[in-house]
Amino acid sequence: MAQKPTKLCFVTVGATASFHLLLDSILDSAFMESLHQHGYTHLLIQYGKDGQPVFDEFTAKRPFGHPDLYGIALDGFDFKQSGLDYEMRLTKAKPSESRVSGLVISHAGSGSILAALRFGVPLVVVPNPTLQDNHQEELAEVLQQEGYAVWSSYKELSSALERAEALRARMLTWPPVRGTNRKKGLEGVISEEMGYLD
Amino acid sequence: MALLYYSFTGLLAWLLFCGALGFITAILCLLSRGASKNTSVPKWRSQNSSVHLLVVLGSGGHTAEMFSMLRRIKLDPAKYTYRTYVVSSGDNFSATKASEFESTLIGCSAESQSYNIVTVPRARRVHQSYLTAPLSTLQSFYSCLLVLRGLHPDQQVRPADLLPSPYPDIILTNGPATAVCVILAARLLRLYHSCLGVLFPRRMHPHPRSMAGAAADGMTPLSGVFRLRTIFVESWARVATLSLSGKILLPFADRFLVQWPALGGKKAWWGAKKAEYVGFLVD
Repeated sequence: MAQKPTKLCFVTVGATASFHLLLDSILDSAFMESLHQHGYTHLLIQYGKDGQPVFDEFTAKRPFGHPDLYGIALDGFDFKQSGLDYEMRLTKAKPSESRVSGLVISHAGSGSILAALRFGVPLVVVPNPTLQDNHQEELAEVLQQEGYAVWSSYKELSSALERAEALRARMLTWPPVRGTNRKKGLEGVISEEMGYLD
Repeated sequence: MALLYYSFTGLLAWLLFCGALGFITAILCLLSRGASKNTSVPKWRSQNSSVHLLVVLGSGGHTAEMFSMLRRIKLDPAKYTYRTYVVSSGDNFSATKASEFESTLIGCSAESQSYNIVTVPRARRVHQSYLTAPLSTLQSFYSCLLVLRGLHPDQQVRPADLLPSPYPDIILTNGPATAVCVILAARLLRLYHSCLGVLFPRRMHPHPRSMAGAAADGMTPLSGVFRLRTIFVESWARVATLSLSGKILLPFADRFLVQWPALGGKKAWWGAKKAEYVGFLVD
């Protein structure tokens, strides 16, 4: 009997600001059901410094196998100084371990977004509405327009999941391939400023 | 009355600050017409000369983006023979990232100390009073001046053979706070050397063939005017609006690079130079 392949959804809320709104929408049986419907088996959450009580309360009430979880294996941690490359890599397909390509759901910080784009897995960007000077919305919006990611409010994660599956089929590579008439890049600008003799 | 007494030191600090600020602003305004236009560097340097690159690291996301850009250009330690990283006090994350990045550079053994990490005080610490902030901003600015002149206490080990001039050739930053201090300090030093150039015009434009000799003498006016070139890269996360440090530095940085088309062509005032759209620089 063929075993169901592993499919991971990794969620990161960021290290600096807390984002309970996103955490609450993730720790929700409706979202678990959507994950299950799209073939996900595992959910890993980086819940931030003060997300621990919320996460612990949820898992204490619902141990593995609880009907609210729809068979999803759930795990989490607060944050990691060294970065999230290891966790991001777990969402990449690996046939030798019977793992199919998963998904990253991220706050709209540029560090996490760039990391996910580099790994080439579908990405859902969720801006934090409680942050001031919200240029994050602009970034999320333009990334969706250009076809790099799915932009979603924390309230509409289930529909974002569907759009992410559609994105998987037509993902763009990162970093964008340089064409023939491309710009000079940082190296070119530095050279101009150096004033080299011909 | 008690309130008056309490705020006296604060008032004094403000007066001092306003005086200093007025002085600096007056100088910068004098130069603003020239500074806000594109100044191109004449061809004066041989192709295989060594480069001293100074990188100002911001914090968290800014630092990650900076190293993303340096990875993408595949920074060659044979060309950029000396690197100085400026971090703000207490920012261990940036200092760690700088050491990590250096350890990945090929052909760069650990014993050849070809880079340095310098710590400067913050302009304003979190929760610091706004009354004393002006003083600490000045302190930070002064510290940046020392760094650019190679006189900061963290720069005691300076391999003279690697550094023909005390000044870095290129200053690269993507904000915030400390970047503003460093770029303004660089402009001030260059203004000083421009003035020297006006006073001693014959030393200003030596024949290109004697350039090696001129470069060896670190303090010629030429050395200051054509070194200390500043490049500001607006964060990749900025799509439609400039950051605060970007808005301040737009007229002062020699090159102001933006990574999204909507920001290209923005300028500080009419006739000033424009932000350059260069596409994505991050990897």
